[in-house]
Amino acid sequence: MSGATHGLVQVPPGVQCFVGDEARRRRVIEERVISVFEGWDYQEIIPPLYDYADVFAGGDLAPKTYSFVGRDGSLLALRPDFTSLLAKIAAGRLSGRPAPIRLYYSGEVLRYEPPQAGRQSELFQMGLEHLGGASRAADAEVLAVAAECLETLGASGWVLALGHVGVFNGLLEGSGIEGSRLATLRERVEGKDPAGVREVLAQGGASAQVREAVVRLTGLAGDVSVLGEADRAFAFSASARGAVAELYEVVEALRGAGLADRLVLDLGEVRGLDYYTGLVFRVYAPGLGFEVGGGGRYDALLARFGRPMPAVGFMLGLDRVALLLERQGAAVPEAPAPEVVGGGGLGAALLRARERRAAGARVRFGDGEGA
Amino acid sequence: MSLTVALSKGKLLAGSEALFRKAGLPFPGKEGRRLVVALDGLRFLFVKDMDVPTYVEHGVADVGVAGRDVLLESDCDVYQPLDLGFGRCRLVVARQKGSGADLSRASTLRVATKYPRVTAAHFLEQGVSVEVVKLAGSVEIAPGLGLADCIVDVVETGRTLEENGLEAVAEVASSSARLIVNRASYHARRGEVSGLLEALRKAAP
Repeated sequence: MSGATHGLVQVPPGVQCFVGDEARRRRVIEERVISVFEGWDYQEIIPPLYDYADVFAGGDLAPKTYSFVGRDGSLLALRPDFTSLLAKIAAGRLSGRPAPIRLYYSGEVLRYEPPQAGRQSELFQMGLEHLGGASRAADAEVLAVAAECLETLGASGWVLALGHVGVFNGLLEGSGIEGSRLATLRERVEGKDPAGVREVLAQGGASAQVREAVVRLTGLAGDVSVLGEADRAFAFSASARGAVAELYEVVEALRGAGLADRLVLDLGEVRGLDYYTGLVFRVYAPGLGFEVGGGGRYDALLARFGRPMPAVGFMLGLDRVALLLERQGAAVPEAPAPEVVGGGGLGAALLRARERRAAGARVRFGDGEGA
Repeated sequence: MSLTVALSKGKLLAGSEALFRKAGLPFPGKEGRRLVVALDGLRFLFVKDMDVPTYVEHGVADVGVAGRDVLLESDCDVYQPLDLGFGRCRLVVARQKGSGADLSRASTLRVATKYPRVTAAHFLEQGVSVEVVKLAGSVEIAPGLGLADCIVDVVETGRTLEENGLEAVAEVASSSARLIVNRASYHARRGEVSGLLEALRKAAP
Protein backbone atom coordinates (compact mmCIF):
# COMPACT_ATOMS: atom_id res chain seq x y z
CA MET A 1 0.00 0.00 0.00
CA SER A 2 2.98 2.33 0.26
CA GLY A 3 5.12 4.28 -2.14
CA ALA A 4 4.66 3.78 -5.85
CA THR A 5 2.97 0.41 -5.51
CA HIS A 6 -0.52 1.75 -4.85
CA GLY A 7 -2.97 1.55 -7.70
CA LEU A 8 -3.76 4.70 -9.60
CA VAL A 9 -7.37 4.60 -8.42
CA GLN A 10 -6.44 4.62 -4.73
CA VAL A 11 -7.82 7.62 -2.84
CA PRO A 12 -5.59 9.53 -0.40
CA PRO A 13 -7.06 9.81 3.11
CA GLY A 14 -9.08 12.94 3.85
CA VAL A 15 -10.57 13.71 0.42
CA GLN A 16 -14.05 13.02 -0.95
CA CYS A 17 -15.72 12.93 -4.31
CA PHE A 18 -19.43 13.57 -4.90
CA VAL A 19 -21.25 12.21 -7.92
CA GLY A 20 -24.68 12.84 -9.41
CA ASP A 21 -27.50 13.10 -6.88
CA GLU A 22 -25.12 13.57 -4.01
CA ALA A 23 -23.41 16.49 -5.74
CA ARG A 24 -26.77 17.95 -6.74
CA ARG A 25 -28.07 17.82 -3.16
CA ARG A 26 -25.01 19.75 -2.02
CA ARG A 27 -25.52 22.31 -4.78
CA VAL A 28 -29.18 22.76 -3.76
CA ILE A 29 -28.15 23.30 -0.13
CA GLU A 30 -25.49 25.81 -1.17
CA GLU A 31 -27.96 27.72 -3.35
CA ARG A 32 -30.53 27.90 -0.55
CA VAL A 33 -28.00 29.21 1.95
CA ILE A 34 -26.62 31.73 -0.52
CA SER A 35 -30.13 32.97 -1.29
CA VAL A 36 -30.52 33.80 2.41
CA PHE A 37 -27.13 35.56 2.55
CA GLU A 38 -28.04 37.60 -0.54
CA GLY A 39 -31.48 38.30 0.92
CA TRP A 40 -29.84 40.05 3.89
CA ASP A 41 -27.72 42.09 1.48
CA TYR A 42 -24.39 40.35 2.03
CA GLN A 43 -22.00 40.50 -0.92
CA GLU A 44 -20.19 37.47 -2.20
CA ILE A 45 -16.44 37.35 -2.00
CA ILE A 46 -14.36 34.72 -3.76
CA PRO A 47 -11.00 34.87 -2.03
CA PRO A 48 -7.86 33.09 -3.23
CA LEU A 49 -7.22 29.45 -2.39
CA TYR A 50 -3.82 30.28 -0.92
CA ASP A 51 -2.15 33.29 0.60
CA TYR A 52 0.95 34.16 2.64
CA ALA A 53 1.12 31.79 5.60
CA ASP A 54 1.32 34.58 8.17
CA VAL A 55 -2.25 35.63 7.31
CA PHE A 56 -3.40 32.41 8.98
CA ALA A 57 -0.78 32.29 11.75
CA GLY A 58 -1.65 32.60 15.40
CA GLY A 59 -5.01 30.83 15.51
CA ASP A 60 -6.01 27.35 16.64
CA LEU A 61 -5.74 26.27 13.04
CA ALA A 62 -2.05 27.10 12.59
CA PRO A 63 -0.91 23.51 13.31
CA LYS A 64 -3.47 22.20 10.81
CA THR A 65 -2.48 24.50 7.97
CA TYR A 66 -0.94 23.10 4.78
CA SER A 67 1.93 25.41 3.99
CA PHE A 68 4.42 25.40 1.16
CA VAL A 69 7.27 27.48 -0.19
CA GLY A 70 6.57 29.61 -3.26
CA ARG A 71 9.03 29.98 -6.15
CA ASP A 72 10.26 33.25 -4.67
CA GLY A 73 10.97 31.61 -1.31
CA SER A 74 7.96 33.04 0.51
CA LEU A 75 5.96 30.80 2.82
CA LEU A 76 2.44 30.26 1.51
CA ALA A 77 -0.52 28.36 2.92
CA LEU A 78 -3.76 26.84 1.62
CA ARG A 79 -6.64 28.59 3.36
CA PRO A 80 -7.63 26.67 6.54
CA ASP A 81 -10.54 29.09 7.11
CA PHE A 82 -12.11 32.11 5.46
CA THR A 83 -12.35 34.58 8.30
CA SER A 84 -8.73 35.70 8.50
CA LEU A 85 -8.60 35.94 4.72
CA LEU A 86 -11.71 38.14 4.66
CA ALA A 87 -10.34 40.29 7.48
CA LYS A 88 -7.18 40.82 5.46
CA ILE A 89 -9.16 41.78 2.34
CA ALA A 90 -11.44 44.12 4.31
CA ALA A 91 -8.38 45.88 5.75
CA GLY A 92 -6.47 45.94 2.47
CA ARG A 93 -8.28 45.85 -0.86
CA LEU A 94 -11.53 47.15 0.68
CA SER A 95 -9.87 49.68 3.01
CA GLY A 96 -11.69 52.56 1.33
CA ARG A 97 -15.09 51.01 1.78
CA PRO A 98 -17.03 52.40 4.75
CA ALA A 99 -18.17 50.09 7.55
CA PRO A 100 -20.25 48.08 8.03
CA ILE A 101 -19.09 45.66 5.37
CA ARG A 102 -21.22 42.55 4.87
CA LEU A 103 -19.49 39.70 3.06
CA TYR A 104 -20.29 36.04 2.44
CA TYR A 105 -18.32 33.12 1.04
CA SER A 106 -18.92 29.55 -0.01
CA GLY A 107 -16.06 27.21 -0.72
CA GLU A 108 -13.50 24.71 0.47
CA VAL A 109 -10.95 25.08 3.21
CA LEU A 110 -8.08 22.66 3.69
CA ARG A 111 -6.81 21.38 7.00
CA TYR A 112 -4.24 18.79 7.81
CA GLU A 113 -5.85 15.92 9.75
CA PRO A 114 -3.74 12.99 10.92
CA PRO A 115 -4.50 10.02 8.62
CA GLN A 116 -5.60 7.72 11.45
CA ALA A 117 -8.27 10.21 12.56
CA GLY A 118 -10.32 9.42 9.46
CA ARG A 119 -11.52 13.02 9.21
CA GLN A 120 -11.85 15.02 6.05
CA SER A 121 -9.04 17.40 5.14
CA GLU A 122 -11.19 19.27 2.68
CA LEU A 123 -14.21 20.98 4.21
CA PHE A 124 -16.83 23.03 2.40
CA GLN A 125 -17.95 26.08 4.36
CA MET A 126 -20.69 28.61 3.75
CA GLY A 127 -20.48 31.65 5.95
CA LEU A 128 -20.60 35.38 6.38
CA GLU A 129 -18.81 38.19 8.19
CA HIS A 130 -20.35 41.41 9.41
CA LEU A 131 -17.45 43.84 9.77
CA GLY A 132 -17.43 47.17 11.54
CA GLY A 133 -21.08 47.38 12.55
CA ALA A 134 -22.76 48.37 15.80
CA SER A 135 -22.12 45.40 18.01
CA ARG A 136 -25.44 44.30 19.49
CA ALA A 137 -27.41 44.96 16.32
CA ALA A 138 -24.83 43.03 14.28
CA ASP A 139 -24.90 40.09 16.74
CA ALA A 140 -28.68 39.92 16.49
CA GLU A 141 -28.62 40.24 12.70
CA VAL A 142 -26.11 37.42 12.25
CA LEU A 143 -28.13 35.14 14.52
CA ALA A 144 -31.31 35.97 12.59
CA VAL A 145 -29.57 35.13 9.30
CA ALA A 146 -28.33 31.84 10.78
CA ALA A 147 -31.88 31.03 11.90
CA GLU A 148 -33.28 31.79 8.44
CA CYS A 149 -30.70 29.50 6.83
CA LEU A 150 -31.88 26.59 8.99
CA GLU A 151 -35.52 27.43 8.24
CA THR A 152 -34.87 27.65 4.51
CA LEU A 153 -33.01 24.34 4.55
CA GLY A 154 -36.02 22.66 6.13
CA ALA A 155 -34.13 21.32 9.15
CA SER A 156 -36.19 20.52 12.24
CA GLY A 157 -35.56 20.74 15.97
CA TRP A 158 -32.49 22.96 15.59
CA VAL A 159 -31.38 25.36 18.30
CA LEU A 160 -28.89 28.20 18.55
CA ALA A 161 -26.80 27.69 21.69
CA LEU A 162 -25.51 31.08 22.83
CA GLY A 163 -22.64 31.88 25.13
CA HIS A 164 -20.24 34.74 25.77
CA VAL A 165 -16.51 34.33 26.32
CA GLY A 166 -16.56 37.31 28.69
CA VAL A 167 -18.25 35.21 31.36
CA PHE A 168 -15.40 32.72 31.79
CA ASN A 169 -12.73 35.38 31.20
CA GLY A 170 -14.41 37.72 33.68
CA LEU A 171 -14.57 35.08 36.41
CA LEU A 172 -10.91 34.15 36.00
CA GLU A 173 -9.69 37.77 35.76
CA GLY A 174 -6.98 38.39 38.33
CA SER A 175 -7.30 34.86 39.75
CA GLY A 176 -3.65 34.11 39.03
CA ILE A 177 -4.60 31.02 37.02
CA GLU A 178 -2.90 31.18 33.66
CA GLY A 179 -0.92 29.32 31.02
CA SER A 180 -1.40 25.59 30.71
CA ARG A 181 -3.52 25.43 33.86
CA LEU A 182 -5.95 27.95 32.42
CA ALA A 183 -6.04 25.91 29.21
CA THR A 184 -6.83 22.72 31.15
CA LEU A 185 -9.49 24.54 33.15
CA ARG A 186 -11.08 25.86 29.98
CA GLU A 187 -11.10 22.36 28.50
CA ARG A 188 -12.89 21.04 31.60
CA VAL A 189 -15.47 23.86 31.52
CA GLU A 190 -15.97 23.12 27.84
CA GLY A 191 -16.62 19.47 28.76
CA LYS A 192 -19.16 20.55 31.43
CA ASP A 193 -17.07 18.51 33.84
CA PRO A 194 -17.56 19.88 37.39
CA ALA A 195 -15.40 17.13 38.95
CA GLY A 196 -12.58 17.97 36.53
CA VAL A 197 -12.91 21.72 37.25
CA ARG A 198 -12.67 21.05 41.01
CA GLU A 199 -9.58 18.95 40.44
CA VAL A 200 -7.79 21.78 38.60
CA LEU A 201 -8.87 24.47 41.08
CA ALA A 202 -7.95 22.31 44.11
CA GLN A 203 -4.31 23.00 43.23
CA GLY A 204 -4.84 26.47 44.67
CA GLY A 205 -4.76 29.94 43.20
CA ALA A 206 -8.40 30.89 42.91
CA SER A 207 -10.54 32.12 45.79
CA ALA A 208 -13.40 29.98 47.09
CA GLN A 209 -15.80 32.38 45.38
CA VAL A 210 -14.15 31.94 41.98
CA ARG A 211 -13.92 28.17 42.46
CA GLU A 212 -17.63 27.86 43.14
CA ALA A 213 -18.48 30.21 40.26
CA VAL A 214 -16.46 28.20 37.71
CA VAL A 215 -17.96 24.91 38.92
CA ARG A 216 -21.38 26.54 38.57
CA LEU A 217 -20.53 27.61 35.02
CA THR A 218 -20.40 23.96 33.89
CA GLY A 219 -24.13 23.65 34.60
CA LEU A 220 -25.34 27.03 33.37
CA ALA A 221 -27.10 25.90 30.22
CA GLY A 222 -30.76 25.91 29.31
CA ASP A 223 -33.47 28.51 28.80
CA VAL A 224 -33.22 32.26 29.37
CA SER A 225 -33.57 31.86 33.16
CA VAL A 226 -29.90 30.81 33.09
CA LEU A 227 -28.98 34.46 32.55
CA GLY A 228 -30.77 35.62 35.72
CA GLU A 229 -29.10 32.81 37.64
CA ALA A 230 -25.69 33.81 36.29
CA ASP A 231 -26.29 37.47 37.12
CA ARG A 232 -26.94 36.57 40.77
CA ALA A 233 -24.21 33.93 41.07
CA PHE A 234 -21.48 36.11 39.54
CA ALA A 235 -22.32 39.30 41.46
CA PHE A 236 -18.67 39.68 42.48
CA SER A 237 -17.40 40.04 38.91
CA ALA A 238 -18.40 43.20 37.07
CA SER A 239 -17.00 41.93 33.76
CA ALA A 240 -18.75 38.55 33.96
CA ARG A 241 -22.01 40.34 34.72
CA GLY A 242 -21.37 42.77 31.88
CA ALA A 243 -21.04 39.82 29.50
CA VAL A 244 -24.27 38.31 30.81
CA ALA A 245 -26.04 41.67 30.31
CA GLU A 246 -24.75 41.88 26.72
CA LEU A 247 -26.04 38.40 26.04
CA TYR A 248 -29.38 39.29 27.59
CA GLU A 249 -29.77 42.20 25.19
CA VAL A 250 -29.20 39.96 22.17
CA VAL A 251 -31.52 37.26 23.54
CA GLU A 252 -34.26 39.85 24.11
CA ALA A 253 -33.94 41.07 20.52
CA LEU A 254 -34.24 37.55 19.15
CA ARG A 255 -37.18 36.75 21.41
CA GLY A 256 -38.82 39.88 20.07
CA ALA A 257 -38.20 38.54 16.57
CA GLY A 258 -40.09 35.32 17.25
CA LEU A 259 -37.07 33.10 17.80
CA ALA A 260 -37.64 32.35 21.51
CA ASP A 261 -38.14 28.62 20.89
CA ARG A 262 -34.87 28.34 19.01
CA LEU A 263 -32.60 29.82 21.66
CA VAL A 264 -30.75 27.98 24.38
CA LEU A 265 -28.09 29.49 26.62
CA ASP A 266 -24.76 27.79 27.16
CA LEU A 267 -22.49 29.88 29.36
CA GLY A 268 -19.96 27.04 29.52
CA GLU A 269 -19.26 27.37 25.79
CA VAL A 270 -15.66 28.59 25.87
CA ARG A 271 -14.16 27.14 22.71
CA GLY A 272 -11.96 29.31 20.52
CA LEU A 273 -11.29 31.72 23.33
CA ASP A 274 -8.09 33.06 21.80
CA TYR A 275 -10.07 34.32 18.89
CA TYR A 276 -13.56 35.22 20.04
CA THR A 277 -14.12 38.31 22.17
CA GLY A 278 -17.86 38.33 22.87
CA LEU A 279 -20.93 36.38 21.78
CA VAL A 280 -20.27 32.80 20.67
CA PHE A 281 -22.87 30.40 19.33
CA ARG A 282 -23.31 26.96 17.86
CA VAL A 283 -26.12 25.41 15.87
CA TYR A 284 -27.25 21.99 17.07
CA ALA A 285 -30.00 19.75 15.76
CA PRO A 286 -31.26 16.31 16.72
CA GLY A 287 -29.91 13.63 14.38
CA LEU A 288 -26.39 15.00 14.16
CA GLY A 289 -24.09 14.50 17.13
CA PHE A 290 -22.00 17.60 16.54
CA GLU A 291 -22.76 21.21 15.67
CA VAL A 292 -23.95 22.04 12.16
CA GLY A 293 -22.15 25.37 12.34
CA GLY A 294 -21.44 28.27 14.59
CA GLY A 295 -19.86 31.64 14.98
CA GLY A 296 -19.22 34.57 17.21
CA ARG A 297 -17.76 37.99 17.74
CA TYR A 298 -14.04 38.58 17.11
CA ASP A 299 -13.30 42.25 17.74
CA ALA A 300 -9.51 41.90 17.89
CA LEU A 301 -8.76 40.19 14.57
CA LEU A 302 -9.07 43.17 12.20
CA ALA A 303 -6.49 45.15 14.18
CA ARG A 304 -3.90 42.52 13.18
CA PHE A 305 -4.35 43.69 9.60
CA GLY A 306 -4.26 47.39 10.46
CA ARG A 307 -7.95 48.27 10.34
CA PRO A 308 -9.26 47.84 13.89
CA MET A 309 -13.00 47.33 13.92
CA PRO A 310 -15.51 45.03 15.59
CA ALA A 311 -16.67 41.97 13.68
CA VAL A 312 -19.02 39.04 13.97
CA GLY A 313 -19.54 36.06 11.70
CA PHE A 314 -20.90 32.59 11.33
CA MET A 315 -20.43 29.52 9.22
CA LEU A 316 -22.30 26.34 8.26
CA GLY A 317 -20.46 23.18 7.23
CA LEU A 318 -21.91 21.85 3.99
CA ASP A 319 -21.03 18.23 4.82
CA ARG A 320 -22.78 18.52 8.15
CA VAL A 321 -25.86 20.21 6.73
CA ALA A 322 -26.11 17.49 4.06
CA LEU A 323 -25.77 14.73 6.66
CA LEU A 324 -28.31 16.37 8.96
CA LEU A 325 -30.93 16.76 6.22
CA GLU A 326 -30.37 13.18 5.12
CA ARG A 327 -30.79 11.87 8.68
CA GLN A 328 -33.85 14.02 9.28
CA GLY A 329 -35.35 12.87 5.98
CA ALA A 330 -35.73 16.47 4.79
CA ALA A 331 -36.60 16.44 1.10
CA VAL A 332 -34.29 17.90 -1.49
CA PRO A 333 -36.02 17.97 -4.90
CA GLU A 334 -35.03 15.17 -7.25
CA ALA A 335 -33.78 15.86 -10.75
CA PRO A 336 -36.66 15.53 -13.27
CA ALA A 337 -36.61 12.50 -15.59
CA PRO A 338 -35.09 13.39 -18.99
CA GLU A 339 -36.88 13.29 -22.36
CA VAL A 340 -34.99 11.08 -24.77
CA VAL A 341 -34.64 12.84 -28.13
CA GLY A 342 -33.02 11.17 -31.15
CA GLY A 343 -33.44 9.26 -34.39
CA GLY A 344 -34.43 10.31 -37.91
CA GLY A 345 -31.19 11.95 -39.03
CA LEU A 346 -28.61 13.54 -36.79
CA GLY A 347 -29.25 17.15 -37.81
CA ALA A 348 -33.02 16.89 -37.44
CA ALA A 349 -32.66 15.11 -34.09
CA LEU A 350 -30.28 17.75 -32.81
CA LEU A 351 -32.70 20.47 -33.90
CA ARG A 352 -35.55 18.81 -31.98
CA ALA A 353 -33.30 18.50 -28.94
CA ARG A 354 -32.41 22.20 -29.14
CA GLU A 355 -36.08 23.11 -29.40
CA ARG A 356 -36.95 20.99 -26.35
CA ARG A 357 -34.05 22.59 -24.49
CA ALA A 358 -35.31 26.04 -25.40
CA ALA A 359 -38.67 24.98 -23.94
CA GLY A 360 -36.84 24.12 -20.70
CA ALA A 361 -36.95 20.32 -20.89
CA ARG A 362 -34.20 18.09 -19.50
CA VAL A 363 -33.03 16.31 -22.64
CA ARG A 364 -31.02 13.15 -23.05
CA PHE A 365 -29.73 13.15 -26.59
CA GLY A 366 -29.35 9.78 -28.30
CA ASP A 367 -30.39 7.57 -31.11
CA GLY A 368 -32.74 5.56 -28.92
CA GLU A 369 -30.36 2.60 -28.81
CA GLY A 370 -28.15 2.56 -25.78
CA ALA A 371 -29.00 6.19 -25.17
CA MET B 1 -37.87 9.26 19.64
CA SER B 2 -36.44 7.77 22.83
CA LEU B 3 -33.05 8.55 24.29
CA THR B 4 -30.28 6.08 23.54
CA VAL B 5 -27.92 5.06 26.34
CA ALA B 6 -24.49 3.51 25.60
CA LEU B 7 -23.20 1.22 28.33
CA SER B 8 -20.05 -0.79 28.76
CA LYS B 9 -20.39 -4.57 28.76
CA GLY B 10 -17.36 -4.64 31.05
CA LYS B 11 -16.56 -3.73 34.60
CA LEU B 12 -18.93 -0.73 34.84
CA LEU B 13 -22.04 -2.75 33.94
CA ALA B 14 -23.01 -3.85 37.47
CA GLY B 15 -22.55 -0.34 38.87
CA SER B 16 -24.57 1.18 36.02
CA GLU B 17 -27.40 -1.28 36.59
CA ALA B 18 -27.47 -0.59 40.34
CA LEU B 19 -27.55 3.16 39.79
CA PHE B 20 -30.23 3.08 37.09
CA ARG B 21 -32.43 0.88 39.29
CA LYS B 22 -31.88 3.12 42.32
CA ALA B 23 -32.85 6.13 40.18
CA GLY B 24 -36.06 4.37 39.17
CA LEU B 25 -34.95 4.16 35.53
CA PRO B 26 -35.50 1.12 33.33
CA PHE B 27 -32.60 -1.29 32.83
CA PRO B 28 -32.63 -4.44 30.71
CA GLY B 29 -32.47 -7.80 32.51
CA LYS B 30 -29.72 -10.30 31.84
CA GLU B 31 -31.63 -12.13 29.12
CA GLY B 32 -29.65 -13.19 26.08
CA ARG B 33 -26.87 -11.47 24.23
CA ARG B 34 -28.77 -8.75 22.45
CA LEU B 35 -26.62 -5.64 22.12
CA VAL B 36 -29.45 -3.22 21.36
CA VAL B 37 -32.42 -3.33 23.73
CA ALA B 38 -35.44 -0.99 23.83
CA LEU B 39 -37.15 -0.77 27.19
CA ASP B 40 -39.74 1.61 28.65
CA GLY B 41 -38.82 4.65 26.59
CA LEU B 42 -35.05 4.15 26.59
CA ARG B 43 -32.84 2.34 24.12
CA PHE B 44 -29.70 0.65 25.43
CA LEU B 45 -26.53 -0.16 23.49
CA PHE B 46 -24.06 -2.58 25.06
CA VAL B 47 -20.59 -1.97 23.66
CA LYS B 48 -16.89 -2.26 24.58
CA ASP B 49 -15.92 0.20 27.30
CA MET B 50 -13.40 1.99 25.06
CA ASP B 51 -16.17 2.50 22.47
CA VAL B 52 -18.75 4.17 24.75
CA PRO B 53 -17.33 7.71 24.25
CA THR B 54 -17.22 7.18 20.47
CA TYR B 55 -20.91 6.24 20.27
CA VAL B 56 -21.81 9.29 22.35
CA GLU B 57 -19.49 11.70 20.51
CA HIS B 58 -21.09 10.78 17.18
CA GLY B 59 -24.57 11.11 18.61
CA VAL B 60 -25.47 7.47 17.92
CA ALA B 61 -26.10 7.39 21.66
CA ASP B 62 -27.35 10.50 23.50
CA VAL B 63 -25.81 9.56 26.84
CA GLY B 64 -23.44 6.92 28.15
CA VAL B 65 -21.54 5.68 31.16
CA ALA B 66 -17.76 5.67 30.79
CA GLY B 67 -14.78 5.58 33.12
CA ARG B 68 -12.69 8.72 33.30
CA ASP B 69 -9.66 6.58 32.34
CA VAL B 70 -11.41 5.70 29.09
CA LEU B 71 -12.48 9.31 28.51
CA LEU B 72 -8.92 10.56 28.92
CA GLU B 73 -7.65 7.95 26.48
CA SER B 74 -10.37 8.41 23.86
CA ASP B 75 -10.14 12.22 23.86
CA CYS B 76 -13.73 12.34 22.60
CA ASP B 77 -15.55 15.65 22.55
CA VAL B 78 -18.46 14.92 24.93
CA TYR B 79 -19.94 16.58 28.00
CA GLN B 80 -19.34 14.82 31.32
CA PRO B 81 -21.66 16.56 33.77
CA LEU B 82 -21.91 13.90 36.47
CA ASP B 83 -19.46 11.86 38.52
CA LEU B 84 -21.45 8.69 39.21
CA GLY B 85 -19.23 7.71 42.11
CA PHE B 86 -18.69 4.03 41.29
CA GLY B 87 -15.93 2.25 39.41
CA ARG B 88 -13.26 4.13 41.33
CA CYS B 89 -9.72 3.25 40.32
CA ARG B 90 -6.35 4.85 39.69
CA LEU B 91 -4.28 4.95 36.54
CA VAL B 92 -0.71 4.32 37.71
CA VAL B 93 2.83 3.75 36.52
CA ALA B 94 4.00 0.39 37.87
CA ARG B 95 7.26 -1.51 37.64
CA GLN B 96 8.79 -4.71 38.96
CA LYS B 97 9.06 -4.74 42.71
CA GLY B 98 12.57 -4.38 44.05
CA SER B 99 14.08 -3.85 40.61
CA GLY B 100 15.67 -0.73 42.07
CA ALA B 101 16.34 0.55 38.54
CA ASP B 102 16.01 4.30 38.23
CA LEU B 103 13.37 4.81 35.56
CA SER B 104 14.54 8.34 34.90
CA ARG B 105 17.97 7.08 33.81
CA ALA B 106 16.74 5.37 30.68
CA SER B 107 17.15 7.62 27.64
CA THR B 108 13.89 6.26 26.28
CA LEU B 109 11.44 4.52 28.56
CA ARG B 110 9.53 1.58 27.12
CA VAL B 111 6.04 1.52 28.59
CA ALA B 112 3.42 -1.17 27.97
CA THR B 113 -0.19 -0.05 28.26
CA LYS B 114 -3.77 -0.16 27.03
CA TYR B 115 -3.71 3.66 27.28
CA PRO B 116 -1.13 4.84 24.71
CA ARG B 117 -2.39 8.43 24.44
CA VAL B 118 -2.52 9.12 28.17
CA THR B 119 0.81 7.33 28.68
CA ALA B 120 2.66 9.29 26.01
CA ALA B 121 1.23 12.60 27.28
CA HIS B 122 2.12 11.78 30.91
CA PHE B 123 5.80 11.05 30.24
CA LEU B 124 6.35 13.71 27.59
CA GLU B 125 4.97 16.37 29.95
CA GLN B 126 7.65 15.36 32.44
CA GLY B 127 10.34 15.60 29.79
CA VAL B 128 10.84 11.83 29.51
CA SER B 129 11.16 10.29 26.04
CA VAL B 130 8.91 7.31 25.78
CA GLU B 131 8.29 4.36 23.50
CA VAL B 132 4.74 3.13 24.02
CA VAL B 133 4.07 -0.58 23.53
CA LYS B 134 0.32 -0.88 22.98
CA LEU B 135 -1.27 -4.03 24.37
CA ALA B 136 -4.91 -5.11 24.53
CA GLY B 137 -4.68 -6.79 27.94
CA SER B 138 -2.53 -8.72 30.48
CA VAL B 139 -0.29 -5.69 30.61
CA GLU B 140 1.08 -6.74 34.01
CA ILE B 141 3.31 -9.44 32.57
CA ALA B 142 5.16 -7.09 30.18
CA PRO B 143 7.97 -5.89 32.51
CA GLY B 144 8.78 -9.40 33.77
CA LEU B 145 9.15 -10.69 30.23
CA GLY B 146 11.31 -7.77 29.14
CA LEU B 147 8.74 -6.28 26.78
CA ALA B 148 8.76 -2.98 28.67
CA ASP B 149 10.52 -1.15 31.52
CA CYS B 150 7.22 -0.39 33.21
CA ILE B 151 3.49 -0.24 32.59
CA VAL B 152 0.66 2.25 32.86
CA ASP B 153 -2.58 0.56 33.89
CA VAL B 154 -5.64 0.89 36.11
CA VAL B 155 -5.57 -0.49 39.64
CA GLU B 156 -8.50 -0.85 41.99
CA THR B 157 -7.13 -2.81 44.95
CA GLY B 158 -3.60 -3.36 43.72
CA ARG B 159 -3.94 -7.13 44.01
CA THR B 160 -3.23 -7.85 40.35
CA LEU B 161 -0.06 -5.78 40.52
CA GLU B 162 0.94 -7.59 43.71
CA GLU B 163 0.34 -11.04 42.21
CA ASN B 164 2.49 -10.19 39.22
CA GLY B 165 5.34 -8.81 41.28
CA LEU B 166 4.72 -5.15 40.40
CA GLU B 167 4.46 -1.99 42.49
CA ALA B 168 2.87 1.36 41.67
CA VAL B 169 5.44 4.17 41.57
CA ALA B 170 3.35 7.14 40.39
CA GLU B 171 -0.25 8.10 39.80
CA VAL B 172 -1.24 9.33 36.35
CA ALA B 173 -4.91 10.03 37.07
CA SER B 174 -7.75 8.95 39.28
CA SER B 175 -10.89 7.63 37.71
CA SER B 176 -14.54 6.86 38.36
CA ALA B 177 -17.61 6.32 36.22
CA ARG B 178 -18.96 9.45 34.53
CA LEU B 179 -22.25 10.14 32.86
CA ILE B 180 -21.40 11.48 29.44
CA VAL B 181 -23.75 13.36 27.13
CA ASN B 182 -23.61 14.10 23.42
CA ARG B 183 -23.22 17.85 22.80
CA ALA B 184 -26.10 18.17 20.35
CA SER B 185 -28.45 16.03 22.47
CA TYR B 186 -27.60 18.10 25.54
CA HIS B 187 -28.90 21.26 23.84
CA ALA B 188 -31.38 20.08 21.22
CA ARG B 189 -33.03 17.40 23.41
CA ARG B 190 -32.64 19.33 26.62
CA GLY B 191 -35.90 18.24 28.30
CA GLU B 192 -35.34 14.49 28.02
CA VAL B 193 -31.62 14.68 28.78
CA SER B 194 -32.02 16.80 31.89
CA GLY B 195 -34.78 14.47 33.16
CA LEU B 196 -32.36 11.54 32.98
CA LEU B 197 -29.51 13.63 34.35
CA GLU B 198 -31.51 14.76 37.39
CA ALA B 199 -32.75 11.23 38.18
CA LEU B 200 -29.17 9.95 38.13
CA ARG B 201 -27.85 12.95 40.06
CA LYS B 202 -30.26 12.20 42.90
CA ALA B 203 -29.33 8.52 42.93
CA ALA B 204 -25.54 9.01 42.70
CA PRO B 205 -23.70 9.08 46.03
